[in-house]
Amino acid sequence: MEILILVLKVFFVFQIILSIGSLCTWLERKGSALIQDRVGANRAGAYFQVSNPILNWTIMPIIRLLGGLGVINTLFCDAVKGVFKEDFVPEGTSPFLHSLAPFLATVPIFLAFAVIPLAPNFTVFDYQVSTPLARLDAGVLFILAMGSVSVYGVALAGWSGNNKFSLLGGLRAAAQMISYELAMGIAFATVILVYGTLDLYDMIEQQKGLNWGVLTQPISFVILFIVGMAETKRAPFDLPESESELVAGYFTEYSGMKFLLFWLGEFCEIGLFSLLVTVLFFGGWHLPFLQLPEGWWLSAVIGHGILMTKVVFFCVLQIVIRWTLPRFRYDQLMNLGWKYLMPLSLLNLMITAAVVLLRHG
Amino acid sequence: MTIFFFIIAVLMVASAVAVVTFNNPLQSALSLIAHLILVACMYAMLDAHFLSAVQITVYAGAIMVLVLFVVMLLNLKVEQPKPIGLLYLGIGIAAALGFAVIMIPVLATVFTAVTDPIAPLNGTARDIGRLLYTQYLFPFEIASVLIFVAIVGAVMIAKRNHAVVEQIADQDTKAGGVQ
Repeated sequence: MEILILVLKVFFVFQIILSIGSLCTWLERKGSALIQDRVGANRAGAYFQVSNPILNWTIMPIIRLLGGLGVINTLFCDAVKGVFKEDFVPEGTSPFLHSLAPFLATVPIFLAFAVIPLAPNFTVFDYQVSTPLARLDAGVLFILAMGSVSVYGVALAGWSGNNKFSLLGGLRAAAQMISYELAMGIAFATVILVYGTLDLYDMIEQQKGLNWGVLTQPISFVILFIVGMAETKRAPFDLPESESELVAGYFTEYSGMKFLLFWLGEFCEIGLFSLLVTVLFFGGWHLPFLQLPEGWWLSAVIGHGILMTKVVFFCVLQIVIRWTLPRFRYDQLMNLGWKYLMPLSLLNLMITAAVVLLRHG
Repeated sequence: MTIFFFIIAVLMVASAVAVVTFNNPLQSALSLIAHLILVACMYAMLDAHFLSAVQITVYAGAIMVLVLFVVMLLNLKVEQPKPIGLLYLGIGIAAALGFAVIMIPVLATVFTAVTDPIAPLNGTARDIGRLLYTQYLFPFEIASVLIFVAIVGAVMIAKRNHAVVEQIADQDTKAGGVQ
């Protein structure tokens, strides 16, 4: 029974990762068309008729609606195209490393989901179910560690492309991720100071009612949100893949499923950061003036729904920002990371530490 | 758990051997990363989650990324294996024998595979922090001074090269002015 619960939990978490990934893909396609008035994606669909009148009046309206929303393109056309496209490996590079890079870029992101609680703990058939897949003592640090490992994926992808554009993209990506990781680490430290624990579940439980983290530490939230946008390497921080200079940056030489894996990793990273922001600053499954009974399975379901609503809100926010702001220049990017976010986060850490000391010491 | 221990142990030794046997510097660096991550897995199996996360962040994450950067930027060539001379072979065998003579008795007495945590750990981050700031405060501070010295040294080297570059540029403009 223990193993069955564990397997179910693994399936559930993986299902969440993939649905966030595909939801973000769809939002990106359709959202970009809506925001930038892109011809093509804002009118593609399934506008065909079939001769059978019964089908025409029953299934076809649904298909037409889904096609008009762009769901068919995202779910079927992309996947089919990805699977059947030729998997091209450039000459003069290691085929093994070329194949390894997309996995190194995505698997750490998937692993980071394992420590995040997705619903309150509950009891079903007298079995206590602890919702994080692995409730680690060092939950926040594990996410930080996985973030630093995922740098290898992009760096290796850039190297194994065996051309200048790929290498430049890979180096830019690695430099950017390392630079912003410092501010992220310090912002995490501030959060840990306030909650007094490294465990994400305890952090959520401390935000009951209106004690949301964003009210006690708004600066950490702003820093972490900006850093999150930079770590996902999307506009305005998309210099590693800036298509006007570097073709497609570090994944220039990738095609088919490997190319899609990079995108999946990127969208999962959006989901991961939205989840992290929700858990650290927006009370996870807590809503003000709503007290869910503890341990009941239905409150776990409702709590999960509340949590995922907040997560989807932040995913949409990130995608809207991505399609609204233009790209930074490289010196602006580095200045923002090293000259503004780093000192700001250090100052924030010191002030927070003083306040925590005054309150508890 | 024992089977996982042995799988990880074998992979650890294999990746450590791969670090020194690969001719390509990039492959060596990647093997070292694999080795460091496997060490972190070993810590995780012993319930030392904090240590494991820090091991990945610091060694596998920060330090090895810099190594990989250097390897990729310098574009180091694949080294051709040199034929091993008899003298080096002799020295190598002697060193290996000496090491075996010293280590085998020690290993024979303590060699038990530690597959489960010896003592239950609760709140490891808290415990480690408390130890660091009380019992081991002096070594901790000394280590931070050491890192500070390294940072200052790195800045110095970068600045000095910068000055040299500017000097050369100055000379070039002067030479251009004369012509």
